[in-house]
Amino acid sequence: MTTTSIGSSDRTTGLPGWYRPILIWRVLVALMMAAGLIGVLLRRGIVLDGPLRWSLAVTLLMFLGGSLVAVIDTVRQRHLGRVTAFFIDFLLAVVFSFIAFNRMGMFTGLDAVGEAFNGNVAWIGIVVLGWFISGFTERGGTVNESLRNIARYTMAAGVAVLLLAMGLLPGLIEFGRRLFVADVIPIAILAAAAVLAARTMWSDSAARMFSTTAAEGETMDGLLFVAPNMLGFLAFMAGPLFVSLFISFTEWDGLTDARFIGFQNYIDLFSDDLFLRSLRNIVVFGAVAIPLAVLPAMLLAHLLNSKLPGMKFFRAVYFLPSIAGVVGVTLIWKQLFNSTVGFINYGILKVTDLFNSVFGSGFAAGEPQWISDDSIALISVIILFVWQQIGFNTVLFLAGMQGINPTLYEAADIDGAGPWKKFQKITVPMLKPTTVFVVATTTILALQLFNEPFILQSPSPPSGPGNSTLTPVVYLYQNAFQEFQIGYASAVAWALFILIFGVTLLYFRRSGDDGVLSS
Amino acid sequence: MKRKLVLLFAILALVAAACGDSDDGDTTTAAPGTTAAAPATTEAMADVSLRWSTRPDNAEEAEVYRTIGEGLAEELGITLTYEPGDNETASYQQKLLTNLSAGTAPDVFWIPGTDIADFASRDVILDLREYADGSGHSDADFYPGPMAQLTTEVATGQPGNVLWGLPRDVSTFALYVNLDLVAEAGAPNPVELEAAGNWDLAAFNEVVDAVGGLGGEIRGYGQSNWWGPFGAWINAAGGGFFNAERTACALDSAESIAGIAALTDLYTTGSVIPYGDDPEPPFRAGTVGMFQNGRWATPGIRTVDFNWDVVGLPSGPAGPGNWLFWGAYVVNADTANPAAAWELVAALTQADVQAQVSASGANIPSRVSQDALDAFLGFTPPANNQAFLDGLSQNPTTEGPLWSGSWPEFSNLMGTEVQAVVTGATSIEDYTANICTATASAFGG
Repeated sequence: MTTTSIGSSDRTTGLPGWYRPILIWRVLVALMMAAGLIGVLLRRGIVLDGPLRWSLAVTLLMFLGGSLVAVIDTVRQRHLGRVTAFFIDFLLAVVFSFIAFNRMGMFTGLDAVGEAFNGNVAWIGIVVLGWFISGFTERGGTVNESLRNIARYTMAAGVAVLLLAMGLLPGLIEFGRRLFVADVIPIAILAAAAVLAARTMWSDSAARMFSTTAAEGETMDGLLFVAPNMLGFLAFMAGPLFVSLFISFTEWDGLTDARFIGFQNYIDLFSDDLFLRSLRNIVVFGAVAIPLAVLPAMLLAHLLNSKLPGMKFFRAVYFLPSIAGVVGVTLIWKQLFNSTVGFINYGILKVTDLFNSVFGSGFAAGEPQWISDDSIALISVIILFVWQQIGFNTVLFLAGMQGINPTLYEAADIDGAGPWKKFQKITVPMLKPTTVFVVATTTILALQLFNEPFILQSPSPPSGPGNSTLTPVVYLYQNAFQEFQIGYASAVAWALFILIFGVTLLYFRRSGDDGVLSS
Repeated sequence: MKRKLVLLFAILALVAAACGDSDDGDTTTAAPGTTAAAPATTEAMADVSLRWSTRPDNAEEAEVYRTIGEGLAEELGITLTYEPGDNETASYQQKLLTNLSAGTAPDVFWIPGTDIADFASRDVILDLREYADGSGHSDADFYPGPMAQLTTEVATGQPGNVLWGLPRDVSTFALYVNLDLVAEAGAPNPVELEAAGNWDLAAFNEVVDAVGGLGGEIRGYGQSNWWGPFGAWINAAGGGFFNAERTACALDSAESIAGIAALTDLYTTGSVIPYGDDPEPPFRAGTVGMFQNGRWATPGIRTVDFNWDVVGLPSGPAGPGNWLFWGAYVVNADTANPAAAWELVAALTQADVQAQVSASGANIPSRVSQDALDAFLGFTPPANNQAFLDGLSQNPTTEGPLWSGSWPEFSNLMGTEVQAVVTGATSIEDYTANICTATASAFGG
């Protein structure tokens, strides 16, 4: 990436012409952040309630700190000032543009653009025609310039007609109208100023003035490349995550003002029988379901890795449960589990009848209440979960097995090793990285269990008979959306996060100790 | 660079064009916390834009609501956007709460009757009394049970001079009867027993035993295990969940215990669908004699291929013990157009609109209107639609919130305890001793 050259130098000071305006802009930004922070804290101008208020305050505080660093290091002409200023301006440009577009109601039109495009998609035919013509412009090494121009103009005309058909002209008028009607001119000016300031800090002139080294310049390039992804991550992942962390320290119903209560929610968790029950359930669930979803998958993958005819078909069959919608699949299993008309109990009945008729015995077929008996309700969820996960895990193991160097097996053959020895001594050790990944992902999914008990138990409460299918996420849901305890639910979420993080970290540390991850 | 700018500008222009000129993006909602204005009789209705949402019972009903919305937009002369809510298991409640929290909830929305207190006490919904008083509205046009809850003052927990909304519809329980199985078992027809005034618990048990006696996978009766079905047994015995003021647990009263004991006895016979199993699939498969559910189950039951009808709940010592289920249209406290929102609520609950909804079969009109009831009765089968309306006139217990406590917490705790006693995991003596202690936290205890 190259930087751009902007502005001329002030002959008296030797400083570039943009330096003074940029410095003023930097001070203005810092003042704006300070004013915004005061406005949020004193509820003047910016009226927000609950965690949103505190989240905005923290964000503004961070921007204020960054702005002060930018001002000081811009005066000192240090590279840190350039980087900080650039990214603050970059973020401000994004934020101000977002606010302006939102006030103009632009985002509500995105769906309609899709519809307008679909309705006029036929005009793309002209573009395709131009592209088709362009295919004939070069024959035998000579280029037919006239034909190339015809192709070029045809494609341009196609795009123009498409845009006009989609409403470009009324759109331009509407865009201009909204710019004034929605009262966004000041915000648009701020956005434009931020863009200009960011571009200035990006320039060669700024690089020279701030004595940016080549390595530092490349770092800036790299950061800019990841900026769109980072923005998305901050807005939709890290942001909500930290907001929920803050909420977990409050008593908040999601509708009225939050009250900061420190660690009280976390303290309450340890004396909450239902939460402890949900933890117990999920630990039992994980202890049974994870091995059942992993070990058979490895054996299955070993079978499917053979070169017998029809194996591709079986690979697809085993993968099917993984791509089927969890709601639909669970509803089907709910029917299967029905104790009076479900196929599972029907199967038990028929097998018992067959056994009795063959051996002349008189066993009575049991009629397990798969969903409503608190002693086996969790087993039903385990069966469903394992059935869903085993196929996906099989595919992962299969991919791992196909990556094992075949010469290892050839050497084992020469040494006279049998199939079991080869599986035990080559396949299993070589699959260790895959196994770690499979176990870790299955564990995370298991600990986040929600859909299966929720749908399986409906219309009954999802906690199941005697709270036997109550999981932390189900409990979180009940607290957040049924009992208006968003603060407490957030504490449950973070407790679960710590559990998942701890278990995953343990897996990876153990694997790291064994050199698995480095291999 | 210039090309990119031109392209960006063209995209923005297209988006603006797609928006049309109906939405300026800054006029539809007030800032959170804005106090509602006085009745805005001067609101220019042509400029008013409202969003509304409700939770339909099925896809057909969702379509009916959409059609109703289009008609009302024309009738009221406003821009009306219908945002269909998902069904109960697909997060209607979560989406509504999230929208309310973010300040993006519709102007008018539906909530279950048990949620009224939670929403009213948090100032999320608007007191519509002043708008209603100026519009010729009368509370007496609706069934009194829901109206008592919708006019309850937050501070006192007793009816007063407020109006939190109007009921969208009501519903009651009935027993769906597989007439073919009853005939095969040689049991008396429950519909005829009811008509003769002989439909009590003894007759009910006789039918259950007879049908259950057919053996195999056949069962005499089934009910779900949420609070409504077992609550009907408590009501029929003369008990209740709460004391008269709804401020404390009454599940350990002699009457309430008698109701739970009768239910527990029924489940020890082995003639019923195991408690906690969904009874609807086996009923639809033709293997259950009677199945307790609300009117909302009717459209689904109509697909079965055996003879069926409905009958009222059998009378216990205190009568049939039915529930009056309901939900209400309420107005978002942050709406910018409170007067228009009230007009929409009133229009959504007028007799002809309720008739349109009830004609699709899932709900009973909440307005005491013969026109609306006639539309409801015209949806057959079942032949004995009157059973649902009889439930309304037999002193049903109105579903309602806890004005001093947490209903969701109470219902969760209560459900677990009842499940334990009905399935035999707990004795009736232990249940009696512990039930009100186990649910005390719902009252802040």
